[in-house]
This record gives sequence, structure tokens and C-alpha cells, in this order.
Amino acid sequence: MTRRFTALAALAVICAAAEVVAGRGMSPGVVWDVLNGGGDATERHIVFQLRLPRLLVALGAGACLAVAGLVLQSALRNPLAGPEVTGVTPGAVLGAVTATALGLAGWDSPLAVVLAACAGGCAGAALLWLLAGRGRGDPAQTAVHGVLVSSVLGGLTAMVLLVEPGELGSVVQWLVGTTEGRVWEHWHLLWPWALLWGTAAWLLAGPLTLLRCGDDIALAAGLSARRARTLALICAVALTAGAVAAVGALGFIGLLVPHLAVAVFGADLRRSLPGAALTGAVVVCGADATAQLSSRLLATALDSGRLTVPVGALTACLGAALLLLVVRRTPSRTF
Amino acid sequence: MVVLLAVFSVCALSLGTPYVPPYRLVAAVLEGDTTLAGIVVSELRVPRLLLALVAGACLGAAGLVLQEALRNPLAVPEMLGVSSGAALGVAAPLVLAFSLPAAVQPLLAIGGAALGGGLTLLVAGIGRSPSAVLLTGAAVAAALQAALLVLMVMADQLDLQLIYRYLLGSLSARTWDDVTGLWPWLLVAVPALVLCAPVLSVLRLGDEDAEALGVRAQRARLAALAVAVVLIAPVTAVCGPVAWVGFLAPHLSRWFDPAAGAVRWLPWSAAWGAVVVVVADVPARLVLAPVETPAGAWTALLGVPAGVALMRSGGRRRAAAWRTPAASAGVREQLSGPRRTASGVADEVPPAGAPHHAHRGEPGPGGPTSPPLGTIRTEDVR
Repeated sequence: MTRRFTALAALAVICAAAEVVAGRGMSPGVVWDVLNGGGDATERHIVFQLRLPRLLVALGAGACLAVAGLVLQSALRNPLAGPEVTGVTPGAVLGAVTATALGLAGWDSPLAVVLAACAGGCAGAALLWLLAGRGRGDPAQTAVHGVLVSSVLGGLTAMVLLVEPGELGSVVQWLVGTTEGRVWEHWHLLWPWALLWGTAAWLLAGPLTLLRCGDDIALAAGLSARRARTLALICAVALTAGAVAAVGALGFIGLLVPHLAVAVFGADLRRSLPGAALTGAVVVCGADATAQLSSRLLATALDSGRLTVPVGALTACLGAALLLLVVRRTPSRTF
Repeated sequence: MVVLLAVFSVCALSLGTPYVPPYRLVAAVLEGDTTLAGIVVSELRVPRLLLALVAGACLGAAGLVLQEALRNPLAVPEMLGVSSGAALGVAAPLVLAFSLPAAVQPLLAIGGAALGGGLTLLVAGIGRSPSAVLLTGAAVAAALQAALLVLMVMADQLDLQLIYRYLLGSLSARTWDDVTGLWPWLLVAVPALVLCAPVLSVLRLGDEDAEALGVRAQRARLAALAVAVVLIAPVTAVCGPVAWVGFLAPHLSRWFDPAAGAVRWLPWSAAWGAVVVVVADVPARLVLAPVETPAGAWTALLGVPAGVALMRSGGRRRAAAWRTPAASAGVREQLSGPRRTASGVADEVPPAGAPHHAHRGEPGPGGPTSPPLGTIRTEDVR
């Protein structure tokens, strides 16, 4: 187990290195120079004020989303539950966009955006809960309902955006999930939030493991299933909202990384929750590095500086492919 | 329904800036291009109304075809990746600044829609459980949406508004040219639709029974998908994928006439689709004037909850209907299977699953653990 964690940490370091050198306009050698204290002012600025915070935000957001997904899947006993298909992510997007459009929160006051995203995420989750009944029934069905809820929330978001056309340009990137232009401010907001709720989730790991086994077993062990589930859901929504406020609606991370983490670290959440956090961080970071590299290649191929691949597009395509595999493999199994 | 359609049509023609009182509408159209009101009505509002009717009818019919063919009340263009594919086919050349003649656009849309729908069915396996098909479709749609968003990120600020509005489905600024562009496609689609309607009612019996009656189920399904694509793609090319009309309209038609079969539902579904789009277009034009909201946003907002409510109440009504006769009838049916008339279309017998649904939609502690929406089960499409 320790070996697996070490391997994953090594992977994280490799991905982080790739992320730092992947951007446009600087060769890896120059980056190395800057990190060793050389380089001119511009280069130093690029590395320290743009690339490092971007890297950290990608790591943090990935960890948040993955933990949120694992908590949701365990609490609802549904392998197809993830922030994207339970209405949490679209709700959070809607909350943030609405708050911005009403002038309650600007992109200059990120804390208000996080709180608005939280409220929206809760609303989205509540909507699904009303529609699908109390988490009972067939997991696939719940997921289908989640897609319906998401589309309603998407319609609302669209309305808001078209009423406030000025917001559209900055928000589109954020609708698909991107780490472009993230600065220290985002990171300073993200890490305490992530740490707080991540710790809360980790403290809930024991009860959550029991919940995974089913309510009867949890009750027999003396756990109040409903209370534990409510706490877990609050945790998951808060984590998702933080990540969404930082990088936007990254697709499929919260749905698929947990499966990966459980496959690698086993079903004991005391181990697999930190594992999921690491895995999520690695995945988002790697995806972002890949996205930057592909943007670079595309820019040279098409000879235009306009084309940037947002990381969310990459994760959505990858995630869709993986989801198809998951659906094919587990047509009727719950866990 | 006729009243609703008439009222909202008049609203669509007379409200707005300038306001044309209903009694002057006929005169305005006849005067044609002599007065301002005449121009506005005959050159802008009438084509828009026609387009809304045609688009709604196409989407409603396509929704019913897909739902019946896959025996799945949630199989709608949005959930199968068909709409996203079509939109991608249209938006890509727009952003990448390829100038194309307008006639090619429907072809691109058809290509995209076929790609989306085909991919979904290919990956999900055509005969698999409905939920699996839908989830696969959702994944495919999400991937296509991501591609669309990448395109939007690349677009200029000015294009962005246009594209975004289009992607939601909007009828703003559509003129006679757009309407006339649709006719040839309708000429192809309508006969195909008429031809495939009887097959749909056979498909409802289940694959084995359909095979026994000489219908190749898989092929029939692919054909149905093709028909749906031909219906959806041209509409999408003109006014974007107006969301969830294909979900709401079939459920409306079922709700009003639960005893009919697919053949009867088809025209009704088309009619309801037309009504839905016309009704949605009025608030889309007027609520937040002078800003036009896309009609698709309204149909998504109101259509999904309404459709789900209809699906549930329909299930409950059926369950109630089957609680009244002796329960033994249900048992007998389970033993003998659906009876069929000589024409090969099922009598109105309950599917074997019907008795279970008496409890549906009454969640609460201590209730049975049947899902509140058993309608996603295959045998329960009525």
C-alpha cells in the first residue's frame, strides 16, 4: 500500500514537472534556469506568477473533485454517482453565474463566488433528490435523472448568460473547465477550503465505509445512517463547489477517478480517500499538461495563436470514453 | 389544443414591437410591403411562426419515433447525442470560418447527427438495457458538447453570442429563406415516417415477438434512427436543437390518448411538438425584451419537469386502471403473455410489469423499494 502511494506521488511529481514546462513560449531549459534562480524578469514572472499557481490550482481542484465523487458514490451506494450526474456541478455553475450576473459576486471577489456555487450545488442536489426519491432505486436510473436535472440547470444558466451577454466570453471557458489564467488569488482561496472539507471527508471515512456496505449493516454497527449520509453529502457539495469556483465544470473527474482509486487502493475509504485525492490531482494535472502541449502543437500546425484546448474538453472526452467502459462492464452490479 | 395553438399563433403574430392588433393582421398581411406593420408581420413574424410549427412537428415526431423504437420513454434526441452531433456539424464550419452554401448545412447536420446517434447505439449495443443506452448517450453527448465548447472558446466575441444562442435553439431573425430550405427535407422525411409508423407498433411487443412477426428488430431500429436523424438534422441546421421538445411532445400525446398505438400517436406527437415550440417562442421573444431569450432555454426549463410529471402520472393512471379489474387478470396475462389481434398489433393488455407500478411515485418511509419511475423499464412504454 505504501508502495502504491509512493508510486502515485512520484507520478504526481512527474505530472507537475510536465505541467510547468508544457506551456507556450519557454523551453524547458529556461524554466530550469528560473527555478534555480536565474532567468530575466519576464521569465521569472511567467513561472512564478502564472505557471506555479496554475499547477497548484489544477492539483487542488482535481483532488477536491475526486474526493467529492468518492464520497458521493459511497454515500449513495451508486457507482454512477458523481458531481456531474447528480446535479451538483451544474447547480454550482448556475449559482456562480447567477451571482455574478446579479452583481452580488464578481470575479474579483472569489469568496462570494464560492459561496454562491455552494448554494447552487446544494440546490442541484436537492432537485435530484426530489426527482429521484431518496437515493433508492436503480443506480443507472438515478444517473439518468441526474442528466435530466443537469439539462434543466443548463437551460437556466443559458438564460442568465444571454441576459448578461457581457459575461459570456469569460464564462464559456469556465463552463467546460479550464486552468487558463489562474493566479495566486485562486490558490489562496482554494487550499483552505479544500483542506477544511477534505479533512472533514477523511474523518467521515469510517462511517462512509460502513455506508458502502449497506444501511442494514451500518445500523447494526450502531451508525446513524441518515445523519452520516447527510454530513457526507454536505461535504461532497462543498468540495465540488470549491473546485467549480476555482476551475469551472471539469467533466467526469468526480465520476471516474473514484473507480480508479478504489481499484488501486481497495474499498477501505480511510486509505482510498487520500488515494483518490492524489489520483485526482495527478489526472487533472496530467490532463492539463497534455492540453497545453496539444494547444502548442495545434498552434504550430495551424499557425494561429487563438486555439487553446481547455483542460475540461480533454477530461470530458477521456471521461466519456471511460464511462462507456464502466457502463459496459457493470450493467447491473451496484458495487 | 387547437384553441391553444390559435391563441398563441395570434400572440406570436401580433405582440412585440410594433404591436399589431389581431383584427388588423389579415389586412397587414394583404397589404404586404406597404406599411411597417405589414412588413414586420409578413416578412418576419409569419415565417417565424411557420418555422416554429414545422420545427416543433419534426422534433415531436422524431422524439416519438426514437422512444418507440428503443422502447424507452427517455430516449430523446438530447439523450442520444443526436442533437449535439447535429449542432456540432453546423457550428464547426461557422467557427472555423469555412464559407459554405446554405444548402450544405443540413447535410453537415445530418452527418453530425448520424455520427452522434450511431456512436451511441454502437457503443451501447442496440438491444441492451435502456438505462445503459441512455447513459452512453449522455456520455457521447457530453463529449460532443465539450467539442462544441472548445469551438466556442476559439470563436470571436461577436460570433460567440450567435453561436451560443444557436446552440440552445432559437428562432430569432429567421426569414422565408430558412423556411423554404426546409421543404425538400420534409418531402423526404414525411413518407419515411409514414412507412415506419406501423413497424414501430410491432417493435413495442419486444424483439422476440417482432421477429416472430417477420420484422427484423435491429434493422427496423436502425431505420427508425435514420428517420429521426433526417427529421432532426435539417431543423437543427436552421434553428438549432430546440431542447427537449422530442421528450415532451410524445408524452403529451400519450397522456391525452393512452390507449392508442404508435400510429395514432405519431400525428398527435407532431402536433403537440408544434404547439410546444410556438408556445415557447412567445415568452422567448417577449419576456426579457428587448433581449431575446432562446426558445430552447424555455423548452428545457419547462419541458423536462412537465415531461417527467406526465411520465409519472401516466404510469400512475395505468396502474390505477389495472387496479380496478380483478388482480387475477394481471396474473392471467403474465401466464399467457400479450394477446394479439390478427393484424399483429397488441390488444390493450397490461405488460407483465404493470401490477408492480401501482406503488410508483409514492415515495416515503416504508414504501416498497421499487423505483419511483418504473417507466424506464423496457416493458412499460405505454
